[in-house]
Amino acid sequence: MTHIAFRDVGQDVLRDVDFVVVGSGAGGAAAAVALARGGAQVAIVEAGPWRDPEDYPESAYGAMRDMMDDWGNTMAMGDALWPIVQARIVGGTTVVNSAICVRTPGDIFRQWRDQHGVGGDAYADRMWKYQDLIERELHVEEVPAHAMGRSNQLALLGDERANLGGHVMRRYVKGCAGSGQCLQGCKGLKKQSTNLNYVPETMTRGGVVLSCAPADKILLDGQRAIGVTGHFQHPTTKKKGARFTVRARRGVFVAASVTHTPVLLMRSGVKSHHLGDFFRAHPGTGIFGVYDEPVDMNTGATQGWASTKFRTDPGMKLETLAIPLELVASRLSGGGHQLVQRLTKYRHLAMWVHACRAESVGTVRPTAFGLSSKPMIRYGLNRADMERFREGMKTVARMHFEAGAKEIIPGIQGMPYSLTPDQLHVMDNAPLDPRAYVAILSHLFGGAVMGQNPRTSVCDENGRVHGYDGLYIGDASAIPTNLGVNPQHTIMALAMNAADRALEQR
Amino acid sequence: MNWLISKTMQDLYPASADFPGIVDMGLDAYLDQFKAEAPALMYTGLVAGATLYQFSTMMTVGKPGPAMLLSDELRDEHARKITATSNYPLRQAIFLVKMVAGMCWGKDERVRAKMNLAPYQADPGTWRSE
Repeated sequence: MTHIAFRDVGQDVLRDVDFVVVGSGAGGAAAAVALARGGAQVAIVEAGPWRDPEDYPESAYGAMRDMMDDWGNTMAMGDALWPIVQARIVGGTTVVNSAICVRTPGDIFRQWRDQHGVGGDAYADRMWKYQDLIERELHVEEVPAHAMGRSNQLALLGDERANLGGHVMRRYVKGCAGSGQCLQGCKGLKKQSTNLNYVPETMTRGGVVLSCAPADKILLDGQRAIGVTGHFQHPTTKKKGARFTVRARRGVFVAASVTHTPVLLMRSGVKSHHLGDFFRAHPGTGIFGVYDEPVDMNTGATQGWASTKFRTDPGMKLETLAIPLELVASRLSGGGHQLVQRLTKYRHLAMWVHACRAESVGTVRPTAFGLSSKPMIRYGLNRADMERFREGMKTVARMHFEAGAKEIIPGIQGMPYSLTPDQLHVMDNAPLDPRAYVAILSHLFGGAVMGQNPRTSVCDENGRVHGYDGLYIGDASAIPTNLGVNPQHTIMALAMNAADRALEQR
Repeated sequence: MNWLISKTMQDLYPASADFPGIVDMGLDAYLDQFKAEAPALMYTGLVAGATLYQFSTMMTVGKPGPAMLLSDELRDEHARKITATSNYPLRQAIFLVKMVAGMCWGKDERVRAKMNLAPYQADPGTWRSE
């Protein structure tokens, strides 16, 4: 098994393989293992370091420093600044997410067929077969009752009373112990992030992993992708190290994330009319419910309940989400003695969130004049999306009250700090200004979207970049619409499909 | 500029009957570590947020800044009001200060014990080098 970590200047690395995969998250790891299973020699090039579970941090500070891309400070800029949460580590965001597994809904494939000329029934069947396989391999199971924790149990109660059509989450987790540390990485080895399975399997099948290795450029020979090059970066000091070059005899998969894949392609000189366009996301935020009895939301599964009942109308997903105490400390509004007084209620808080299936689109571009490798994301929500967003807030608020919350803390600028059940109607007039909300973009799509027409898309349904040989998209950049569900399962299936189709090319 | 940031964070997370103040949580060492480890842009944002906090007292308590020269009562009033200001850029800048301070406050083992949470082990900061 070969792993090459940071190398100092003067220790350049040159490798020749069949395929090189940029990124080791859901898409990159799934593509890599499929290629390796097909007999190809594969190199995975990952920008972040390889941290094993014993290296995982426990604190929110450690998670931001050691796990997140740019300390979680990549911002989507529009009317408001909303952060984008994604990891930079071997295993990618699968290390820090809640491992939520949702099959690609059938209507999505029909939408892709009707609007983009890809997908359709046969394609859907193929994707679902990959998802069958992934579910078996990554031990997808419901959150066990003993690991639910009080917040998730309350959500089940609120759901039942409010008729929200929810369910216990299915996740890529084997025997969840309910340690409440999903966002910092699961030290208990329960969460099946790709650094524990597909990446090591790729290595045992003869693959090589380069970590601390952000790709600068895809090497092109005319219209053919022939490799990847960059410089190692020290994970602590950020010092630039030796050059690495991985030459690919058969192809290059780019799975560096929705924010980095389009930028890497642009930086490499790849030409496509809509490269970096059609960026989409699930903007979301949470509401705290305040309960009489302690909830201790950080005990039990970080996320254990969800509802997709409203995915198509009005377009949102509901979930529980226990954020660490450190983040609750800043998420509650106020300052000074007022804030620390509010924090005394921490044990009685449950945070539930909604993710809005927004139709608004944005762009991903490189930093002007190449001043930084950081992507620039322009994204804002239109009025219809903000109305959906508000509807999500109202639904979560109602659910809290049905579950027995004595008050809710909506966290909306310009509104009362807390509302009691008889004040629920106040949420009807919550502002439609995105600046009033503390929100994040959790699931990202687009930037190198698939479609039949090269003038309106970047790659085909098998991830092949139009007009290029041996160049494939292997992550959510290829997804042309907003799924309305957690995207990991879809990303993995698309990546495996693209890999298998690439193996057929000779 | 850590002293300026420290003064601001002390206003945001003061000692109370329930919790120690952030100043008693190794704040200086925490800020030294943050400055050494965080992206330069993020640290710059922190300095900007702290500066805006210190010199925005006219907006909240009608007194000129810096906030650190005001009485305890006025500083507490300023902390309460400025974190809820309707000025979005200002609120965002101060939110960054509050978030970074919250990561120090919320990992303190005395605070965690009160919240029925186990103390954190030290973050190893290690990675696979071979």
